[in-house]
Amino acid sequence: MNPTDTPRRSFVARELVALGSAFTDIGGFAAPLTCGAPADEEAARARRLGLCDASALARGGYKGWTARDWLREQGVGVPEQNNRASRHDSALVARLADTEALILGGLDGGCALLDDLGAAPPPGGCYPVPRADANAAFIISGSDAPAMLAKLCAVDLRPRSFPDLSVAQTSVARLNAIVLRADIADTVAFHCLFDSASALYLWHCLIDAMAEFDGRPVGLAALRQL
Amino acid sequence: MSARLPDPAGALIDRGRPIAFTFEGRDYPGYEGDTLASALWANEVRTLSRSFKYHRRRGVLTMAGQDANTLVQVGPSPNVPADRLALSPGLAASAVNTWGGVERDLWSVIGRLGRFLPAGFYYKSFFRPRWAWPLWEPVLRRVAGLGRVDTGAAHGDYDKQYMFADVAVIGAGPAGLAAADAAAAAGAEVVLIDENARLGGSLDYARVSGDVRARLVDAVAAQPAITVMTDTTCNGCFADNWLALIHGNRMIKLRAKAIVLASGSMEQPVVFRDNDLPGIMLGTAAQRLIRLYGVRPGRRAVVLCANGDGYGVALDLIEAGVTVACVADLRDAPGADARMEEVRARGVPLRPGATVREAVAGRDGTLSGALVAQVTGRGICAAPGERFECDLIAMSAGYMPTGALACHAGGRMVYDDTCHTFRVADAPHGMTLAGSVAGVHDLDAVVADGRAAGARAAGGDGGPAREPDDAGLNHPWPIFSHAGGHDFVDFDEDLQVKDIRDAVAEGYDHIELAKRFSTATMGPSQGRHSLLPTARLVAEATMGEVGATTARPPFAAETFGHLAGRAFEPVRRTAMHARHVEAGARMMPAGMWMRPAYYRPKHRREACIVEEVAAVRENVGLIDVSTLGGIEIRGPDAAEFMNRVYTFAYLKQPVGRGRYVLMTDRTGVIIDDGVACRFAEDHFYVTATTSGVDAVYRAMLWHNAQWRLAVDVTHVSAAYAAVNIAGPESRGVLAPLCADVDISAEAFPYMGVREGRVAGIPARLLRVGFVGELGFEIHVPAHAGEALWDALMEAGRGRGIRPFGVEAQRLLRLEKGHIIIGQDTDGLTHPLEADMAWAISRKKPYFVGKRAIALHEKVGLTRKMVGFEIGDAASLPEECHLVVRGAEITGRVTSAATSPTLGRVIGLAYVAPDQSEIGNTFTVKIAGGKLVEARVVKLPFYDPDGRRQEM
Repeated sequence: MNPTDTPRRSFVARELVALGSAFTDIGGFAAPLTCGAPADEEAARARRLGLCDASALARGGYKGWTARDWLREQGVGVPEQNNRASRHDSALVARLADTEALILGGLDGGCALLDDLGAAPPPGGCYPVPRADANAAFIISGSDAPAMLAKLCAVDLRPRSFPDLSVAQTSVARLNAIVLRADIADTVAFHCLFDSASALYLWHCLIDAMAEFDGRPVGLAALRQL
Repeated sequence: MSARLPDPAGALIDRGRPIAFTFEGRDYPGYEGDTLASALWANEVRTLSRSFKYHRRRGVLTMAGQDANTLVQVGPSPNVPADRLALSPGLAASAVNTWGGVERDLWSVIGRLGRFLPAGFYYKSFFRPRWAWPLWEPVLRRVAGLGRVDTGAAHGDYDKQYMFADVAVIGAGPAGLAAADAAAAAGAEVVLIDENARLGGSLDYARVSGDVRARLVDAVAAQPAITVMTDTTCNGCFADNWLALIHGNRMIKLRAKAIVLASGSMEQPVVFRDNDLPGIMLGTAAQRLIRLYGVRPGRRAVVLCANGDGYGVALDLIEAGVTVACVADLRDAPGADARMEEVRARGVPLRPGATVREAVAGRDGTLSGALVAQVTGRGICAAPGERFECDLIAMSAGYMPTGALACHAGGRMVYDDTCHTFRVADAPHGMTLAGSVAGVHDLDAVVADGRAAGARAAGGDGGPAREPDDAGLNHPWPIFSHAGGHDFVDFDEDLQVKDIRDAVAEGYDHIELAKRFSTATMGPSQGRHSLLPTARLVAEATMGEVGATTARPPFAAETFGHLAGRAFEPVRRTAMHARHVEAGARMMPAGMWMRPAYYRPKHRREACIVEEVAAVRENVGLIDVSTLGGIEIRGPDAAEFMNRVYTFAYLKQPVGRGRYVLMTDRTGVIIDDGVACRFAEDHFYVTATTSGVDAVYRAMLWHNAQWRLAVDVTHVSAAYAAVNIAGPESRGVLAPLCADVDISAEAFPYMGVREGRVAGIPARLLRVGFVGELGFEIHVPAHAGEALWDALMEAGRGRGIRPFGVEAQRLLRLEKGHIIIGQDTDGLTHPLEADMAWAISRKKPYFVGKRAIALHEKVGLTRKMVGFEIGDAASLPEECHLVVRGAEITGRVTSAATSPTLGRVIGLAYVAPDQSEIGNTFTVKIAGGKLVEARVVKLPFYDPDGRRQEM
């Protein structure tokens, strides 16, 4: 399928097409399954250094003075501290502030948690944040990811200093970004959320920074295989 | 002729890998592992450069990149130190700062004019008489400076990189190696940094017995927690242990929890007449040549020393086959030293209490002899001295700690009168000094000092630091000035003893002043060899204490590429960007965004814009307005919040309607405008200008931090892509795509807002009239922006829908007299002068700026914005052309254009209040000083009743 077959399209769709990506429809959004190589090969690459456009995956947030309490009442395990995340089945719940949480769906595409929360109208003081469109998302995986990101980001992202489920709200290549470490099996993986209009710019920065480590774009199939 | 020592001399060179290179146009052989300087010295090429001012011959001095006597040009790179430049196949280098080559430099004639060129001479010459300066300037530009920049050189990649460590150890000599090992053993993550290609520091070239080097290097190699970075220079130390490292093309920004500075110390030269001739070098330089590169430093040597290390140098020379003609020891009573006895036993003449008084040049301009004389007083020696033939003088007269990095971050160099050298005081918190940088020179003590420092830096208790043990290593006054001059204190700047004395005599009686007047210590070697003699001479001349100048980063030369790094310049693109490019749009930057200015090729710019305007006025056009700001205001106090931040009234704004918003600051000045859409009692979706929305968002958060209203403010500009489909045919194009929202005139009146699906995409629809035609702004989730664009272009194809850009939009809005914030308003414009009193609610108790606007009203207007027309179509003013009345400036034009719809020149301008009546004329001064008459007309110029936008 083609990205233009769906109404929702990634900001880096053309780059993915140029790589020879194969797409799949995730909720009306063309997502890259592979980026021009077989999934096995891309999985091996993803263990060293891979860049995946995760814009099609589910993404949402809630903020406001009653948000944290409401989420907990709905059974969502909001972490006890800011800048930490927790796993909720296949979803990730990151606490960005006392009054804001970010929810990321899993690699399969849907997010039952976001669907459930979306069905129940939140009370006054708790408001949904349109992160699916305000942000684009990339997943950077592999043992070389911290060294590569060290060229773009001043936070110490080495595994020893930035344990799994840590969150940094920081600057990557001069863009405001949320960096969330959520390992996939035993492969280090960073979810990066940032201004969707800057997606193409950041894609090129990352491709360039990855070259030193022979990193390449990979698709969702590779990450699912880890 | 070769000065290469036989195998196995030369720890760094690989005799199995010869390399051919070129210097000054001639070919020479060398080996891999050589530096350019070592290979040239091996080929007995001894003049490597010409000095800055007098163009004197210069050769190897430190063999470690600590001096600037061997700067060369390598292709496009100027000023590369030859004694650090690794030999590579095909290397072609030439000397800098010469006219005609280093051997026959025609500028050397300047050296003979030395008498007329004392320090600071350029402050007093070249500009009298005044007419002389333009004649001098090109000459000076030709003569001054070092090296040449090739502006056509290919670009390189200069990434920067962050790094983190528990302990950063700077210097991998014995102290640094021991410190790194101890810190890692204590559990720290260590980064060990050394500028050389391999670990070892002075252990690599000094006369050391035993296997200290091997033991220490092996220990470090066995520690996985130590990251070794060789070929890496630490160029700066900044607050909180932040270090700038230069490695190849990369600047690494290392943040360490603790630093061990084990940077060692630098041997110092002696000052005597002609002490800069090629062949005069430091004792350690001679040792480096022998041990690292297997090069004989000369054939016949005089060793000039003030400590026992000089005798070690003499022994190294003898073992390398150099005849040592004499050892002159500045000390009267040198004291017992096994090395001295061994030198004596080998039959070398010793001259205690003596110095080299003068060096003698041979026919080729390099060293051929030395006059050794008895020291009779401080800085005085007997004439004429004993003559020794030699082509090498090796100086071992003392050391200065390499403490610059400590001084970058607050440390100071303080002179120790008993040991006659500088000490580092007030090292920054978190930095520990170890080894000879702290005055510890005995090898066992150095290693112990390093271990203690490393353990301490890792958070443990390493035990006490070692006391300095360098008493007797430094001479209090190794400066022997000569009436004939050429007794160089600063090699980089060609400064002699009298230059320093003259600077003080001129009144620059402090080391910082004398430095700046004379430029001493300001050259590329940054005072590494000139600070000590300069400070001593200034102290003597002012009868004060020996002071020091401030050391600042960088420690060694770095390129602009290192500093600039990789350029990160974010660009924001809308979801429809590719469609604009495909349609032939000329894209223009709008802040960080790229927007289409107009569509089609450049040479038809005016015509394109006129056609786009016509398409909107008569048919239907489509413009991408995704860059507009968007903010969600939600919560029980949403309407109250809106009422306070904007000037208009919002409490009673009906759900399903839009309303203009105007924001002023506390001084009543207009900041931004937009449209507020009320989608629910407690929900406003407010638009803002592309460039103003970030400031609006910040202002809202700031205000509510004080007001604490029950409202949530969320910045959603990037979440929505948006278009404006405008023109009389726009409803006809849009209606078929709106399955669940009725967009007929009755169901969806002007200034209404609706939610529904357009082409199946969830959307917010706004009927707004910025361009003055029937039109709809459609806001959709950003990732669906391109699909929306495609659907509308497809739906409008039959009607000839046309995309239009920012240029056409600006013209269309001008025809309707709509202001653009930041173009028609400035930093002082308040609503009353911009004819926006209608947007101010008189009934609200409070909004930001209310009081100030009331004051403006009381005081009265000083200027007023009006719409104008100009009858003469050829007289189009530009923005900021002035409105003049006689000699007075009464205002300026803010927007002006030739309206294709109306067929005349229209615009907006500020004029004096008494010029603002409809029908009044005023004068505008346009390009070329031409005065044109403009007439005030009622706004809007086009469709004054607003019928077209309310269709």
